[in-house]
Amino acid sequence: MDKRDTLWELFQKKNISRRDFLKTCVALTSLMGLSTELIPQVVEAAEQKPLPPVIWLHGHECTGCDESFIRSQSPLASDLVLNMIALEYMDVLASAAGEPLEHHLEETISKYAGQYLLVFEGAVPTAENGIYCMVGGKPILETLKHAASGALAIIENGSCAAWGGIQAARPNPTNSVAVSEVVRGKPIVKVPGCPPIPEVLTGTIMHFALFGQLPPVDSQGRPKQFFGNRIHDTCYRRPFFDSGMFVENFDDIASKAGWCLYKVGCRGPEAYNSCGNMRWWNGMSYPIQSGAPCVACAANNFWDNDPFYERLPNIPVPNTIANADKIGGILAGVTAAGVVAHGVASYIQHKVHQSKEEKAHGAGQQPEGDRDNE
Amino acid sequence: MKRIVVDPINRIEGHLRVEIKVDETTGKVEDALSSGTAWRGIELVLKGRDPRDAWLFAQRICGVCTTVHALASLRAVEDALGIDIPKNANYIRNIIAASQMVHDHTVHFYHLHALDWVSPVAALKADPAAAAALQNTVLDKYTLNLSGPVSFDTSAYAKDFPKATTAYFKDIQNRIKKVVDSGQLGIFAAHYWDHPDYNVLPPEAHLMAVAHYLNMLDRQREIVIPHIIFGGKNPHPHYIVGGMPCSISMNDMNAPVNTERLAVVDNSINLSIDLANGFYVPDVLVIGDLFVKAGYVDGGGLAGQRVLAFGDYPEDHYSGIANGDYFKNLLVRANGVVENFGQGVAKATFYPLEGKDLSDPNVLAEGVEHSWYSYPETGKDLHPWSGVTSPQYTGPKEGDKTHWKYLDEAGKYSWIKTPKWNGKMAEVGPLAKYIVVYTKVKQGIIGEPTWAEKFIVDQIETVSKLLNLPPEKWMPTTVGRTAARGLDAQLSAYISKYFFDKLVNNIKAGDTNVANTRTWDPATWPQEAKGVGLHEAPRGGLSHWVTIKNGKIDNYQAVVPSTWNACPRDSKAGYGAYEASMIDTKVKLAEKPLEILRVVHSFDPCLACATHLYDREGKELSVVRTDPYL
Ligand code: SF4
Ligand code: SF4
Repeated sequence: MDKRDTLWELFQKKNISRRDFLKTCVALTSLMGLSTELIPQVVEAAEQKPLPPVIWLHGHECTGCDESFIRSQSPLASDLVLNMIALEYMDVLASAAGEPLEHHLEETISKYAGQYLLVFEGAVPTAENGIYCMVGGKPILETLKHAASGALAIIENGSCAAWGGIQAARPNPTNSVAVSEVVRGKPIVKVPGCPPIPEVLTGTIMHFALFGQLPPVDSQGRPKQFFGNRIHDTCYRRPFFDSGMFVENFDDIASKAGWCLYKVGCRGPEAYNSCGNMRWWNGMSYPIQSGAPCVACAANNFWDNDPFYERLPNIPVPNTIANADKIGGILAGVTAAGVVAHGVASYIQHKVHQSKEEKAHGAGQQPEGDRDNE
Repeated sequence: MKRIVVDPINRIEGHLRVEIKVDETTGKVEDALSSGTAWRGIELVLKGRDPRDAWLFAQRICGVCTTVHALASLRAVEDALGIDIPKNANYIRNIIAASQMVHDHTVHFYHLHALDWVSPVAALKADPAAAAALQNTVLDKYTLNLSGPVSFDTSAYAKDFPKATTAYFKDIQNRIKKVVDSGQLGIFAAHYWDHPDYNVLPPEAHLMAVAHYLNMLDRQREIVIPHIIFGGKNPHPHYIVGGMPCSISMNDMNAPVNTERLAVVDNSINLSIDLANGFYVPDVLVIGDLFVKAGYVDGGGLAGQRVLAFGDYPEDHYSGIANGDYFKNLLVRANGVVENFGQGVAKATFYPLEGKDLSDPNVLAEGVEHSWYSYPETGKDLHPWSGVTSPQYTGPKEGDKTHWKYLDEAGKYSWIKTPKWNGKMAEVGPLAKYIVVYTKVKQGIIGEPTWAEKFIVDQIETVSKLLNLPPEKWMPTTVGRTAARGLDAQLSAYISKYFFDKLVNNIKAGDTNVANTRTWDPATWPQEAKGVGLHEAPRGGLSHWVTIKNGKIDNYQAVVPSTWNACPRDSKAGYGAYEASMIDTKVKLAEKPLEILRVVHSFDPCLACATHLYDREGKELSVVRTDPYL
């Protein structure tokens, strides 16, 4: 009963061959963005590391992050949930409800004290002692603190958990905050996105499952392997940006030609995420590829960086990428310096207000003629 | 009499609690309350924003029925501003909505509801060879041989078909056995697997269903591929007010939509048809049939008394929603209310729901008698366009404000308001939609049914024959609610195909427009405007209500399906749909109320949707302003 299987033991029990096991390890290595030299270490970790127990709680959220989680292709959600982690508590998928489920939560917290991974999805409403989100007859704020105290590490799953998300947008009626604002002294990794790309979340969990620790993070606490670049730097439309070829209005001929969306509001120049390289559904598309400007859904307090169709200020174009990059640099710098919550958004917002007065200048081209009629 | 609390209700979106009073000797539920236990205030967040951004915010009301709030929001803003979207945008939105319907229903049935009917533990007793034989019988007997109109038949054969071999079921069974033996049950832990209701089905049916649970967990992601192509991601794909951002061009290799991209969508739609025909419909019908044969025809609650729907899928252009034009142009004209369907379709009464009704406060209004809000005039319900919500949290009956023992059924006990039609309660959802369309067609109110309306009638009649029961006996029950969702998934898969074909034909005719941007600039808008957006979402009739002033959102209200169904009681109107259905259900073991989970899950609860209302004055609670510029 107490025995926890390693991935290799599980494979053995399931009569899956050593060869398949090694293949899985190779896949996992590349999934986690690790160099192939590390394959032996991944194999070793998978052989020796027991399946980590996972507790998954929900605060103020829309369950979009769970839905995204089950859309993962590699690893598939079924393999992850049934084979690679021991998902001991997750009310969205659990068979049980009510008292038996809450009892099981308590059991898991005490039995695996200091060993389990806590995934928290959603923001934590703190107004009036947390009465705006009651689960099992008590505030989720209380359950979070309780579960966090025994956790080995915590994942802030989605922009709500990482930054407060939509309910924390002005005027933040329930005083919702990020998990890390009410829990201290624990290793915490932020996996933002509204929702996160499925494989970004499952990749982070796999890293923990295999290595027993959180992946390396950037200055804002996000896994570097998924949040190391701006969308703008990995965007396949970047050559059009650099050449000053812009969509001026939705569904104009430049939209059909797939040119850069900067002028209709694209937030790619300030968005750190994997949409440009991994894309959604393993390379199938991402909002920009489908013609929609990025809204930077993984950025801190992006909701208050609206209106979303106003172009980002102060990113002169074309062929002056240095300035565009500066915005990214300032963003990272400011946040690293510890300016929390809405500071960054305020900065951008301020610039947006300025730019409204300045009026976007007209640099840019349009494709010649209506190519549809050619 | 025993008072039982189930909190949290699992396998749902959001946070729900129910409390029931059960007579332990008879198993009768004497009283039941349903409470939404969280409040996020999203409509308050929407206030003062650019109406062109509203859909982005509103979409985050729910990520399970992702996209439905975006669609209702876009329609509300477009209604207010008088924006007519291009044909292609309408077709694409309909494909997104219909594929969402198939996806949402599939995930609900297999991953959020199935474990109320089937058990992995019971599957261990199955004979794999008998399970393979059962799978064949099920496919023979419970497949509905119906099909929608298909003008471009691109699928050579059904690619996804249930496996029916002994070896397959043996393998699945071995895998389940290892999980059970390990003691690490994970998501299967701590449940009442010893409940007698898990004996209704033979072990082979449990094994078959558990195999499909796993199968569908991996397949469901492919159903929403249209969202990835047209909207860039899922959950929460992208739109724009006035149409879609995904421009179409057959001349550009970088175009968001070209032939290659359309082929990806087509492939996904074909798959969704196969999954509905080969898995979902036969599975839900065989389980339903065996439960009905075992006497489980309870849980109807309000369904036999009063149901409400709005209908959906505009065929082409419409000039507005509040003006009623929208209703003239629908593929599924389910707009209306049906009373007393439980007495048979001939005795049922139909009431239309049309444009003028939308703005009539006597027809649609919300009350707060048992909700944690106060109204300026106690007892006077308000229309959503002039809704008021001052939060007024009163805590429980027993326990304290942050530690509840029992909620107060005599006072306020939920963050959900109580919406009413003509001062009465109504149930919404796929079952409601099916009852309304069936009644309208059978009573001749719809003279010439569209193909989809005829499809609904054919489905209902085929199932009635299969179960050997008239519709009024099997439909307004827990089984009926769950079956209607499966039928709706099948219909929706063909609706995706239908609008895909229309899209292709329209492009073929030379029209590649996807957005109407003539009114994109706020300078072109009236100073004041209001609009309503309707959508028949997976959980039922959804309405968003917006007022716009000087280019900004002045008021925003959403009356969502789960508000209709999960709402608290009302002294004049009676019980809400969840509460009525629980009272209509017999509980065998008070300590293990599996029947309650089953009936509540049959509604596909979605609580974040239901509990986010705020007021027009926007009473601010603990407001923290950290943005100096706003
Ligand atoms: S981050 Fe976005 S998708 Fe995830 S729970 Fe919050 S609102 Fe939903
Ligand atoms: S502005 Fe947006 S669309 Fe243009 S290159 Fe950058 S990320 Fe891509």
